[in-house]
Amino acid sequence: MKLRRSMLFVPGSNTSMVCNAFVYRPDTVMFDLEDSVAIEEKDSARLMVYHALQHFTYDDMETAVRVNPLHSIYGLLDLEAVIRAGVDIIRLPKTDTVEDVLQMQEVIEKIEFKIGTDKKTKLLAAIESAQGVVNAVSIASCSDRLMGIALGAEDFVRDLHTQRTKAGSELMAARAQILLAARAAKIHAFDSVFSDVRDKEGFIREAKYIKDLGFDGKSLINPNQISVLHKIFAPSKNDVEWALDVIEASTNAKEKGLGVVSIDGKMVDAPVIARAQWTLELAKASGMLGGDE
Amino acid sequence: MDSSISFSEFDCLNNRRVKRVEKFLNDIGLDFPSSIENFVIAKDGDELIACGGLDGKVLKGIAVAPHRRGEGLILSIMTRLINIAYSKGIKDLFIFSTPNNTDLFEDCGFKLIENCDNEIILMENSNNLENYKKILLSKRKDGNTIGSIVMNANPFTLGHQYLVEQAAERSDWLHLFVVKEDLSEFKFKDRIDLIKKGVSHISNVTVHEGSDYIISNATFPTYFIKDKGKINELHAKLDLRIFRDHLAPALGITHRFVGTEPYCVVTNNYNKNMKKVLEEPNGASNPIEMVEIQRVEKDGKAISASRVREFLKVKNFNELEKIVPSSTLEFLKNI
Amino acid sequence: MSKIKKRAHAGTLESSDAFIEIEPIEEDKIKIELQSSVEEMYGDDIRELIKKVINELDISHISVKVQDKGALDYVIKARLQAAILRANDDEKIKWDKL
Repeated sequence: MKLRRSMLFVPGSNTSMVCNAFVYRPDTVMFDLEDSVAIEEKDSARLMVYHALQHFTYDDMETAVRVNPLHSIYGLLDLEAVIRAGVDIIRLPKTDTVEDVLQMQEVIEKIEFKIGTDKKTKLLAAIESAQGVVNAVSIASCSDRLMGIALGAEDFVRDLHTQRTKAGSELMAARAQILLAARAAKIHAFDSVFSDVRDKEGFIREAKYIKDLGFDGKSLINPNQISVLHKIFAPSKNDVEWALDVIEASTNAKEKGLGVVSIDGKMVDAPVIARAQWTLELAKASGMLGGDE
Repeated sequence: MDSSISFSEFDCLNNRRVKRVEKFLNDIGLDFPSSIENFVIAKDGDELIACGGLDGKVLKGIAVAPHRRGEGLILSIMTRLINIAYSKGIKDLFIFSTPNNTDLFEDCGFKLIENCDNEIILMENSNNLENYKKILLSKRKDGNTIGSIVMNANPFTLGHQYLVEQAAERSDWLHLFVVKEDLSEFKFKDRIDLIKKGVSHISNVTVHEGSDYIISNATFPTYFIKDKGKINELHAKLDLRIFRDHLAPALGITHRFVGTEPYCVVTNNYNKNMKKVLEEPNGASNPIEMVEIQRVEKDGKAISASRVREFLKVKNFNELEKIVPSSTLEFLKNI
Repeated sequence: MSKIKKRAHAGTLESSDAFIEIEPIEEDKIKIELQSSVEEMYGDDIRELIKKVINELDISHISVKVQDKGALDYVIKARLQAAILRANDDEKIKWDKL
């Protein structure tokens, strides 16, 4: 499974960020054409993102684009542009129902067919309303293109008639629901942005919290948060030791033609091996195994 | 790359926000410029950190909080101001500022027109001054004494006519500029029309339409509120320096004629300044001799356009007949 | 070859970006006025790029004014194309030409 700890949010109208975001090495860069772009700049930002996606600086980085809703006059134009440019993931602006996903999927399929690409653009649904949270389970499993679901907290708390707090109790139900829905459907779960860029401690606290909850990653608005988040997601030395042991044991068992793998007298089955591989991926990405951070 | 900065745009009707801008400018020791129509501000959280304004074709009130300078905020403010101006169909823009900001605004595509005694600068984002000079060059006339007059003529009186006649008599050729800005009681079209009719008997005069570079809202904004005694000396100087350094050389102007000013202290001061700016060596252009011509009187009082406007208010055409040419009188009767 | 319909602009004066203004002109040529923070090193390359983008869109009789703030090629391309689409009120974008 691909690592998706950090998803850096880059306003399509902020040229300096569009051009330089790759420097910070987020796992996924997410260009925004929706809320952060003023109406008068929609066309220009779309072209900017269209070209950025094709630039070599983003060749080896997973790219996502948050497009405008299909019911707006920009949604279809955004899709036409970024699918042509080879974007990896389309982030749906606001997903309330399964139909929202299926409708987007249909449009994307048409465009892919029209331009004759083999690439199967993935989808990421943003859950930003009470309705979306309630439907999260059915949304998470409605399309094989869906790689994950993400919480969009700012709009969600408005819909819930509350506001964001440092403690985060207002998001408790939504986070739990989204996480469970994603895990049940075997797709990724992403937490919302932490918007107070000055509150470093608050960011660390929240990042640790959502990691412990089980989220795969978090949307970020400040590039400086990336390395902090990656450190938090790094596995402990003990975890890495355990994972290395598991992989070694399973490799040895395979070579010997043994059907059953065990360590310290405990059975090691396929999910445990998968978990160990995942831990090593994380360790590698965190620079603990000589890979790059 | 700081995404916590937000920008907003609003117009002068937004009193509460305008007040905040005024306070912001005052707090960093700057005056709040009059008559801004559109504002742009940058905020970091709730704190105002930069602002700028648009008044017609002039950008003013552009400032950044001292502790936030060097971040390029000016460039974002300028982009937004230019976008507003363009969307209103205004494409040729001016900036008044202080000389230390020259580089900054050059970075925004503006060119320096004039740096007046290192106190004030005027910049523009077009090539219009160069183009205007080319047009003037094509209207150049030979002669030793090339006179000039700049008048608003609001409206044209016998006093104006006398000034033109006297100036024309003393010049080989006379260039008469008519203030183009439509900020006076009488429209430019009418004012220049009446001037042309009123000088049609003089053979050695060219009547020029004014421009942004000669007593306009761009070069000399306070000229138009002089009734309130508010002429800004710096702006007056700037306007005269542009005349001397750019316009006069194109036409080979050697003299500038003005009427004496017996009543208005403000205009009188302006004339005194004019003598200094036009005649003293400045290292950039040849001096221009300023000639004051005694104003013509009627019934012991100098003829002035403001008297005409007073008589017009009460429709006293008998008195008007004594102080305006027949062409102007005809026009006034038909208003 | 076609002429753009009207004056238009795109971009910003911010760092890494370019502010581009275009205008239809009478002469059959591409008139470029460039002010760049990297003029000495890349001035000619930028002019070439501008001509290329304009030619690819089959446009002539155009004046282009560029304030470049150290923009990457694709940024200049994006801003110029945006300005041209705006000048023609284009809704139907020919993506293969961009």
